[in-house]
Amino acid sequence: MGATGSRLEKALGDQFPEGERYFGLENFGNTCYCNSVLQALYFCVPFREQLIEYYSNNKNPADAEENLLTCLADLFIQISSQKKKTGVIAPKRFVQRLKKQNEIFRSYMHQDAHEFLNYLLNELVDTLEKESLSAKSDSDTSSTSEKIANGPNISHANGPNISHANGGVQKEPLVTWVHKNFQGILTNETKCLCCETVTARDETFLDLSLDIEQNSSITSCLKNFSSTETLNAEDKFFCDKCCSLQEAQKRMKIKKPPHILVIHLKRFKYIEHLGRYKKLSYRVVFPLELKLSNTVEDSDAEYSLFAVVVHVGSGPNHGHYVSLVKSHNHWLFFDDENVEMIDESAVQTFFGSSQEYSSNTDHGYILFYERTTTASTS
Amino acid sequence: MINSTSSNGVISSSSAASANNNSQSPGLKTYFKTPEGKYKLQYEKTHPAGLLHYGHGKTVTQASLAPLKDKSTQPSLPSSSSSSTSSSSLGVGGMRSAAAKFLGGGNGSRALSFVGGNGGTKAVSGTNGRVGSLGASSSSNLVGNSNFDAKGTYLIFNVGDSIFISDLNSRDKDPVKSIHFSSSNPVCHAFDPDSKDGHDLLIGLSSGDVYSASLRQQLQDVGKKLVGAQHYNKDGAVNNSRCTSIAWVPNGDGTFIVGHADGNVYIYEKNKDGSSDPSFPIIKDQTQFSVTHARYSKNPIARWHICQGPINSAAFSTDGAYIATVGRDGFLRVFDYKNEQLICGGKSYYGALLCCAWSMDGKYILTGGEDDLVQVWSMEDRKVVAWGEGHNSWVSGVAFDSYWTAPNSDGTGENIVYRFGSVGQDTQLLLWDLEMDELVVPVRRAPGGSPTFSTGSQSSHWDTANPVGTLQPAPSIRDVPKLSPLVSHRVHTEPLSGLAFTHESVLTVCREGHIKIWVRPGFSESQPSNSDPLLSTSLKDKAPVAGKVIMSSHKQ
Repeated sequence: MGATGSRLEKALGDQFPEGERYFGLENFGNTCYCNSVLQALYFCVPFREQLIEYYSNNKNPADAEENLLTCLADLFIQISSQKKKTGVIAPKRFVQRLKKQNEIFRSYMHQDAHEFLNYLLNELVDTLEKESLSAKSDSDTSSTSEKIANGPNISHANGPNISHANGGVQKEPLVTWVHKNFQGILTNETKCLCCETVTARDETFLDLSLDIEQNSSITSCLKNFSSTETLNAEDKFFCDKCCSLQEAQKRMKIKKPPHILVIHLKRFKYIEHLGRYKKLSYRVVFPLELKLSNTVEDSDAEYSLFAVVVHVGSGPNHGHYVSLVKSHNHWLFFDDENVEMIDESAVQTFFGSSQEYSSNTDHGYILFYERTTTASTS
Repeated sequence: MINSTSSNGVISSSSAASANNNSQSPGLKTYFKTPEGKYKLQYEKTHPAGLLHYGHGKTVTQASLAPLKDKSTQPSLPSSSSSSTSSSSLGVGGMRSAAAKFLGGGNGSRALSFVGGNGGTKAVSGTNGRVGSLGASSSSNLVGNSNFDAKGTYLIFNVGDSIFISDLNSRDKDPVKSIHFSSSNPVCHAFDPDSKDGHDLLIGLSSGDVYSASLRQQLQDVGKKLVGAQHYNKDGAVNNSRCTSIAWVPNGDGTFIVGHADGNVYIYEKNKDGSSDPSFPIIKDQTQFSVTHARYSKNPIARWHICQGPINSAAFSTDGAYIATVGRDGFLRVFDYKNEQLICGGKSYYGALLCCAWSMDGKYILTGGEDDLVQVWSMEDRKVVAWGEGHNSWVSGVAFDSYWTAPNSDGTGENIVYRFGSVGQDTQLLLWDLEMDELVVPVRRAPGGSPTFSTGSQSSHWDTANPVGTLQPAPSIRDVPKLSPLVSHRVHTEPLSGLAFTHESVLTVCREGHIKIWVRPGFSESQPSNSDPLLSTSLKDKAPVAGKVIMSSHKQ
């Protein structure tokens, strides 16, 4: 550890960013899924700062109840307050808490990094909502049931990525700083082909899960995500106006682009005839800058890539996770306790493979983009 | 295998060849249709099988077309000689584009530079397969002494740590020559058919080193090393960042430029010595364009600092007056080469730009990049005039088809239609028609920031314009007219890195070093002769340009 640390410091030299810390995270036996996501979140600077700020403002020494939020904040503070600039930290309390709280993560099996990210963000939201409620004392506890409805949504790898469905009659949900960072709104437009009425239903999301194709780009995957789908035959749409099942066209557009856009590539696909999941090693190129074209209004909002969680390995049930992080215009490679500087051009070695069997098994899995412009939609 | 070149050495499309190709790429069609007819896969070129060392896959193959002229005319060839005309017949112009393409290793593509040749002319006299023995029998290192006349059109491409040279007009899949580099990988190259002395081939390495050499001399040598080469930027003494793009200056008397991954372009003159103190002053502001001349008249003679981050491709206009660069920062920049001034430029929709190419008449520049768009830049309007939507991944190569003429062209020059092609990492070749009258501009707006550009005297504006101010920001998606492709065809199983047009075909190159030659409708069975009227007339005046690295093509 000391060796890699000093190597990194040497590589950065006097360009070592003021006040920044680059610490590897110890692996407690298949906890790389956790480490890779934690690094990406740590270098999501608005998230880190707001977490630490919230924690400092709300720390209640009397009520020392531990949860994932406090453990995460403690870990981030521990990293950022290190005297040394580089080194290794053991995220012991966080991992213990995670295992205690959710049995899925308790085993030593290989876990899915996206599932973990999703679980963690929803846990944070839950905790914030709970604390907000209790802060408001017991004036209004009526939304408890709704909170349960919006509770942790642990999807399997290819599951729905939408964690909160606002379909029905609901009260204004609490907008926490987690929401402010990660939440966007999708609108699901359905046009009845009989009466041409368009029904729009909004859904919030914390990340987008995209189907992928061989030799494609993220731009193209996003386009497919929003492409028009026809509902017919067995899958007709009940039109409220026609009061009957009708053929319809459906498409999903982004109504409110999030500040931090998290894109999950569905690399683990259930293959029916095999009866198991398979990893798709497809080459999917992701640009360092991105604009969303599948928005309701032309937003031209620009995003910049700042972290990539990479799955290493040929199958879904084993392998390794590492992450690439951009910090102060340098790219860093985090592999559990190791941290190295890499050239920006090395990012493209994680795009995937255009051949099915390839020696390259390091594939971008979760992409983190941060909005760089304030060009606003609505 | 297909060593049995037909007696006249003609390229012919043989069903055997295409069947053979097909077996290698299941699911890929061996033809595609356009309004003017079918383009058929004629043959493929690749590196010898079994070459899969570790370096493979780390570089991106680019290709250059090299029309080697008659030896007798070589030494002091006037540019207007008939041989130069014929050399251009293979469409060197188009090929170049491929070369200029993505040298940008930064993004991982490969370049293809073609040395276009007058393939037909000499019937290639069965050069393939015979080169070895011929070379051996006359293995003199001196061009002048060799009785080996390597005339013909060659295809130069890089794979891993080697440069391969194939005879474009033979059906032989394997190269006739390979040149191995031990220290670093060759990543870009360029050929000048009108070179006045022996050195016509340029090679840039990932270490930053640059070589110039004679292609004929390489073909005559039996070894696997580059011979008779001049070495520039040795061991990266001037600049140790990766070479990304290399180009001869058209009519430049042996002047060439090399683009690097750190945003600098160096200018060299091939017969000058290297400087003993080649260091240039530190660049104070990385974001600003600046030109520094060497203190003494030694190589490199100048440094142009263009931008932050890699320059992915650079291309000269056919007359050599302008140079266009595209790079990691997503900007296209057009410079007046002689006056060393930024003329205009603009940002991609988003992401890096990877390739660029000029139209033969210098009116338009194509760019392609990480926003999956093919962008058409108008030099007259100094802005983007169209976006081609159709690729499902990054656009890695663009080129105008200078040999194509609109079926109803009346030759008056009114309402010109341009044909161009693009290839992408989606493995597709797309062909497009650009008809300016047909473009529907959603909202006519003055180009942001420089509304005066469209009126008044250009030169006065160019003299007074603030160079930075002339760069346009990314256009909004609703302001740019969209084009749809005429044809889209999946040509390889691997991401593509370049394309080039020749008189009788379109060449597509993939990153891993496979090249496919698609013969145009009407050319499949017949061999073009060197007296092809179309070519000689349409290209006569442009002949000197033929070998440039520009990816241009032209429209008559």
